Amino acid sequence: MATNDPTPRSFGQRLQSLSRQTVYLILIIVVSASVLISKFMGLTLPNKPGAGSQDFFAAIMAIPEGSTVFIQSDVTNSTRGESAGQFEALLRILMRRNIKFAVFCASGEPQAPQVAIDVIARINAQRIANGERAYERWNDWVSLGLFPDGRATAKAMMANLRTAIDKKDTPPGKPPTDVWQSPVMEKLKVIDDIGLYILVTASKTSDILVERLKFAPVTYGDVPLRTKLGCMVTGVMGPETNNYYRSSQIFGVVIGLNGAVEIEHLMENGIKPGQSETYRSLSIEGFKGMQNYARGMAYYLALHTAMGLLIVLVIMGNVGMWLTRRQTGGGA
Amino acid sequence: MNWLFLAQAETPEYNFWNGAPGSPALLTKVVIALLVGIGIMIALMFAPTRLRRPLVALATFVAGGFWMASTFWPTAPDAVTEGRNASEKVAIFLKDVTSVVADFSNVLTAFLLGLGIYSIVSVHGKRILKRQQDWSFSVVLFASIVLMAIFGYADWMDEQNRTAAVTALSPGFWNRGRDLLFDGMLQNMDAAMFSLIAFFILSAAYRAFRIRSVESTILLSTALIVMLSLMGVVVSAWDGLAGDFAGGNLKLSEISKFINSNLQTPGIQAVKFGLGIATLAMAMRIWLSLERGGLNS
Amino acid sequence: MDYSFIKLTVGLIATIGLYSILYRENKFYRLTEHIFVGLAAGWSLVALWTVTLKDMWWSKMMGAEASETSGVVAGYWPYVFLLPIGLMGYFVFNRKHSWMSRIPIGIILGLVVGQEAGAWLKRDLPQIEAAMKPIVPNTEVGFFVPTDPVAGALYPSQMLGNIIFLTTMLTVLSYFLFSFDFKTKFMQKSTLTGRWLLMIGFGAIFGNTVMTRFTLLIDRMYFVWIEWLIQGVFKMG
Repeated sequence: MATNDPTPRSFGQRLQSLSRQTVYLILIIVVSASVLISKFMGLTLPNKPGAGSQDFFAAIMAIPEGSTVFIQSDVTNSTRGESAGQFEALLRILMRRNIKFAVFCASGEPQAPQVAIDVIARINAQRIANGERAYERWNDWVSLGLFPDGRATAKAMMANLRTAIDKKDTPPGKPPTDVWQSPVMEKLKVIDDIGLYILVTASKTSDILVERLKFAPVTYGDVPLRTKLGCMVTGVMGPETNNYYRSSQIFGVVIGLNGAVEIEHLMENGIKPGQSETYRSLSIEGFKGMQNYARGMAYYLALHTAMGLLIVLVIMGNVGMWLTRRQTGGGA
Repeated sequence: MNWLFLAQAETPEYNFWNGAPGSPALLTKVVIALLVGIGIMIALMFAPTRLRRPLVALATFVAGGFWMASTFWPTAPDAVTEGRNASEKVAIFLKDVTSVVADFSNVLTAFLLGLGIYSIVSVHGKRILKRQQDWSFSVVLFASIVLMAIFGYADWMDEQNRTAAVTALSPGFWNRGRDLLFDGMLQNMDAAMFSLIAFFILSAAYRAFRIRSVESTILLSTALIVMLSLMGVVVSAWDGLAGDFAGGNLKLSEISKFINSNLQTPGIQAVKFGLGIATLAMAMRIWLSLERGGLNS
Repeated sequence: MDYSFIKLTVGLIATIGLYSILYRENKFYRLTEHIFVGLAAGWSLVALWTVTLKDMWWSKMMGAEASETSGVVAGYWPYVFLLPIGLMGYFVFNRKHSWMSRIPIGIILGLVVGQEAGAWLKRDLPQIEAAMKPIVPNTEVGFFVPTDPVAGALYPSQMLGNIIFLTTMLTVLSYFLFSFDFKTKFMQKSTLTGRWLLMIGFGAIFGNTVMTRFTLLIDRMYFVWIEWLIQGVFKMG
């Protein structure tokens, strides 16, 4: 064992031999300090939104007021760090724009519908505290629950939206009622009547929807869309989902914590002419003066320092290996 | 026959396939059908060995056959609701029953999701009964299942009967209990459990990420650029320093965009093309029960 | 002590319990782990009924009486057949009759694989179309793309990018042609280049994965220090 080794270790070996617990402790300290500093100093770090987030933001800012958006939320708190920031930003925009939405889960995640309902309750509580109108279940949004087989559900929605969704939700003061009686759903007849279909996911459900849903091209204001499907995904799923964005199979993609920060940045600053790579002359006002920077920005400094730590440790390990090799004549 | 009969697009007239809710006629049909279903299940238990594989193959083929037909059968124009010829009639039939098949699929998947719970109960039940090592933890596990189930169902039942005014006044005992267990405990545990990977990924990168070959050098360099491009402060500083030198193409945001568009995208696309073809081939083999092992073992 | 603080504290204890594994295997971790699995299983029992089977199976089978919000809904008895089919899945734990579990699993698999042909067409054909990139520039005004580019113009720098794109795709594809034994030097070089270029994709995936994993940890630390300590204990912010 290394600890009982009487031979003194070289500098190169020392660089490579931090204990597991020491590495963990350093990470906890670095991340904790960053989170606290960010909170107390109210830091707003710079960010340059990418094309995927810009197009996503442009679409949700362009859909007409009163439209109904479908939100397939397949996430649980296992990816709260990324998904909650994205989902909260999405809800803030939809609620500020008076867009109705139906939220549901179409994968084998029994916790997901309740997690989504809890996030909506949290954002609603913040709205009430800020003196904004509460978003009312049944009249402004509905929960469609869980569809364990996302593949078959997507196919059924394409074939007949009305028969694909046979669920109940609870109107205020009334017993559970067929969701098609809700103001959120009553105008929808076929899948193209949906304003946008947004997927919040940490898994490959984006594949399932791309493979099955097909929307007619539509233009909202100055924003022409080839499809109504957009994705908010975790960093792990980012590179794969990004390919669908590149081939215009989805209208926009928000990736990971960086994507959440990008959306918050766009909410604060909007899109000025010449900034959007896709729509050069597009101009969109943000929500200046409102609470736009939230969970994404609160975590952003810590992302910098944690990634910085990883880079430093990898460099340390490699320098250590190089020094040791040089000392032992390349045999280490 | 109207194949929307199971989809409940509108309240139909009562016929052989349905019945009034709570009526003796409907209950009788349900019980008889259940007994028939269980009878078939029991009969299958005594099915000869040589019949087993064909039965499984038939079930797989019929289930997959529906979606194959719905994919490749020519569709009828949207405006056509009554088929004018045999082809259109089939197309409309396939479209109509899609939601019924999706319902069956969802319900069956839900039933099978219970397998995981059954497995947990079975493993830990045996551990308690045999007083194996750490059996007390299994008791805690059972208590957690029961507690969550009780509060979850009670809250749901409560919600069905409560009015909004009452809920606004007080969330209720069952709701508080459910919220404490679900949001207070389960969700925090879920987040904590998956966040542990951050420690392992850092430790593994420190120990194993070494520049030893061309491949590892390329991988490490790309990962470094991607990570730096995800750090807004670094991007801002780098882009500021690079300015418009070389047409602004030395900005970190431009470099990462170039990698993303011209190297990462086609690389992943090529992998997915390969995977796509392989998945398609495997799917056909499973559908036609040509695959050895698994379902056909 | 108010309810929200109790809830936060319970979450904190749960988090510490699971994090204790980072030091070493211990009883506190084992206890928390078992509670976690138990609560997750318990919730699955609840959700499978309340947000799935109740509406999608039971209500359709048994119908519904008229209420203040809807009329009578007829019940359709054929839905009951799904119960014995589903139950057959549970024979997987029975050594003698485990083959019966393959019937519902076969049905589910059939329902999945039957969609694969259509799925492949919708997923990959647009990708192939998007990969068909032009490689002959049609403008000679500058090498790089200007800030205000001419619509439809392909600048030499874009041409280079497109050539790299196609080279990457073709060489990576050639790397995955396992069915043939390539003897030519050209193909050997192509597969080697493909392997190297593939590493760029993997590097990007690694970078993004690191972001995800660290963000999950950041979220936990935010919960502990900001939500529990600052907002819960000190009632600030």
